[in-house]
Amino acid sequence: MSALLPGRLLPALAPILAALAVGALVLLATGDNPLTVYPLLLREAFGDLDRIAATLVATTPLLFTGLATAVTFRAGVFNVGAEGGFVLGGLATAVVGAHLTGLPGPLAILLALAAGTAAGTAAAAVPGWLRARWEVNEVVITLMVNFIALGLAGWLVTSFLQAEGVANSATPLVPPQAWLPVLLPPGLTVGVLIGLALLAGYAGWIRYSVPGYELRMTGHNPEFARAQGIRTGKVVLAAMLVSGAVAGLGGGVHTLGVVHRFVEGFSPGYGFTGIAVALLGRNGALGVTLGAVFFGAMSSAGATVQLFSDIPLDIVQVLTGAVMIFAVARWARSLDVTR
Amino acid sequence: MIESLLASALLLWTPLALAATGGLINRIGGIVNIGLEGHMLAGALAAALASGAASHWLAGVAAAAATGAGLGLLMSLPITRLGANPIVVGLGYNILIAGVAGYLLSKLFEVSGTLRVPGLDPLPRLDLPLVADVPVLGVLVSGKDPLFWLAVLLVPVVGLLLRHTRAGLRLRAAGAGARTARSLGLPATRIRDGSSLLAGLLAAVAGAQLSLGQVGLFHTEMVAGRGFIALAAFYFGRSRPWPTAAACLLFAGFDAGQARFQTGGGAAHLLQTLPYLVVAVVLAVTGIRESRRRTRRAG
Repeated sequence: MSALLPGRLLPALAPILAALAVGALVLLATGDNPLTVYPLLLREAFGDLDRIAATLVATTPLLFTGLATAVTFRAGVFNVGAEGGFVLGGLATAVVGAHLTGLPGPLAILLALAAGTAAGTAAAAVPGWLRARWEVNEVVITLMVNFIALGLAGWLVTSFLQAEGVANSATPLVPPQAWLPVLLPPGLTVGVLIGLALLAGYAGWIRYSVPGYELRMTGHNPEFARAQGIRTGKVVLAAMLVSGAVAGLGGGVHTLGVVHRFVEGFSPGYGFTGIAVALLGRNGALGVTLGAVFFGAMSSAGATVQLFSDIPLDIVQVLTGAVMIFAVARWARSLDVTR
Repeated sequence: MIESLLASALLLWTPLALAATGGLINRIGGIVNIGLEGHMLAGALAAALASGAASHWLAGVAAAAATGAGLGLLMSLPITRLGANPIVVGLGYNILIAGVAGYLLSKLFEVSGTLRVPGLDPLPRLDLPLVADVPVLGVLVSGKDPLFWLAVLLVPVVGLLLRHTRAGLRLRAAGAGARTARSLGLPATRIRDGSSLLAGLLAAVAGAQLSLGQVGLFHTEMVAGRGFIALAAFYFGRSRPWPTAAACLLFAGFDAGQARFQTGGGAAHLLQTLPYLVVAVVLAVTGIRESRRRTRRAG
């Protein structure tokens, strides 16, 4: 219940309101009325069961990238590399999934997702180790890892993994028995349940377990944590590895649930939107869930609004970017700056 | 062969050098500017529109500079006044600007992606009559656009300003520690905002070079990571103007080479990641070295 108290709700709503104001400016500048566009977006996101399913489809990848980012933020590590983990996880799952033709579906799904999880973990391992062992600033390195991962994936696909007879760079299709089962047509799969289960596990873990306590203390006040005997380096590395694993699994779920192969443009920035999700949700499980639904709703509604009116889908990007900017504003005078 | 490779490397160098110099000034002022990508995109669009409207390239460059300065200041305010994390603000800003650009294109011009501006006046090429025929040297200095020369001029000028003037000293003081700078009576926050304004301005002019100097149109994907390459360049050059400009030349060379020797596309992907890899390695090595120094001092 405490999450609903005004004191905690207001800071989470402020960035949304500020972003809606920015979006309203853009709409007004081109002669559209935000008071008709925003309710339309709301209706297109939640209007009927089909629309809710579409919103949850768009929410699913953000549950993973949001959680991946939140875990590290909670430990005081500024990991902005979920995009790279998501992409590599998606690629590994697609490759393994396409080759497990002889196995029964559930087993193939498990193995393919395990490969994605491993790939995501690998992407986070080096920056995590550098930060944990040597206190190397992780922000720019994890940002760079995203681009390196994208380039690496592009190279692997075009050089070795290219499907035959496909014009653009894409891996072969994963056979249908390894696709994630559909919960609700058109395309809502059990992927959303995996994401929600992870978030529920995260909530319990962070609140009731010893490692969860150590993670919170490390993020809250590392010196105090060290004085208590917490090995903060280990905690930071663990947070980074878990983050990479979650991001990679998210990519795997996106492969087996939605795309069924790895193609160029596999992730339209899910990792970066995940940062906004984590910030908006204040790194809590419930917050991340609501944040992911919020951005998922905007992108699914934006797509249909574009179809049926002359409001371009890009308005969703405007809102996403503005939320990110305003979610980190502390609305109080401060000058510490990441260098 | 070598000459044409050199020529295209220099053409690609200009926007990188302009944006990286802006980012370098900003970083010395204490802010890592992740928004260079967005500034470049905004500058490219403003330049294309203004150049078309006024039928003169100079109007385009001026519009880009004004747009970039305004947006640079706007991006700075949440960081300096509201204590927002500059990395997240920059990432959000890039998404926001890309969204606004795409929105305006489909809403006002009813196109998606590519905007051809009627009457767009491209940057002129300045041919130097005598030198043009000298081998190698001719390619190096003749047939360049005015923004190339601006970038060339900017490198030593910024170097001198940073090292030998009051403004440079104040900028470095504001960047090194806002609290200390303020106790010395310096308006640290305003100085930081000023450095962001300059970064926005230079990156937007870099964007103008892309739309007016290279392709003669606007495309929503035309910046294609150059803002991040510029970021990589000033990290690699450790915020010093000459090494940063040299890093830009290195990355522009990769880019030109990759376009030329493209074989099936696979190797091109790897070559594109090199700047990012280089920066990650440089940061890791310097970070480890610093960490060792710290422990030695403590022990």
